[in-house]
Amino acid sequence: MSFFLDANVLIYSAVDSEYRVPCLEILEAVAERRTEARISTAVFEEVWHIESSGRAGRIGGLAARSYTLFTPLLPVTDEVVARALALDAPRLGTNDRIHAATALVNGIATVVSADAGFEGVSGIRRVDPRDERALHHLIGS
Amino acid sequence: MFGERLQILVSRDQRRRLVAEAKRRRTSVGAVIRDAIDARLGGATSEQRLRAVADIRAMRGGRFLPPDALDRVVEEERDQAIQTDHRRRG
Repeated sequence: MSFFLDANVLIYSAVDSEYRVPCLEILEAVAERRTEARISTAVFEEVWHIESSGRAGRIGGLAARSYTLFTPLLPVTDEVVARALALDAPRLGTNDRIHAATALVNGIATVVSADAGFEGVSGIRRVDPRDERALHHLIGS
Repeated sequence: MFGERLQILVSRDQRRRLVAEAKRRRTSVGAVIRDAIDARLGGATSEQRLRAVADIRAMRGGRFLPPDALDRVVEEERDQAIQTDHRRRG
């Protein structure tokens, strides 16, 4: 089962909190090819922005490592933009609308994110990284 | 996760090299072929991916920001870029 990762999963894999262990478990499963998770160019850009801003502390190199893990990235295409504009998702900001549309256009129905804003988006199931049962179903451990 | 089956023909020498490489790495011939595909056609090798996760796991000094704060960081960065562009254009 393929799923889409939001930028916060990558950020939280590098900073101490209750999210760190489950987010690292996801990345390990991806590295070992036990599961198939994708990110997009837009998610990569967010990680790079946050890393460069210094606001999330010392996470230098996270964007480059994320690229290594997830290349080839899903593209943000004209079709994705059209789908994002048409989404009925009042709780989602513009970036997250692009992420949801990228998943949908690529036939991916699950978005792993700490952001509850993805709930209620038609065709998308949001999985919180702290949801052990759902997560283990996704990564097969 | 592998769901696609691909049947290919290789020469005896290619097979010998694949088996030798798999033995050297202590892995399967299939894993050697998958890594070769990733290395040649985009994507990182398993060694590169595992190293990337190990590097992330070793990171210290990060600061937790809740999801909405992370969104604001990205928005502020973009606003700054737009303002800089406007100033440059006069």
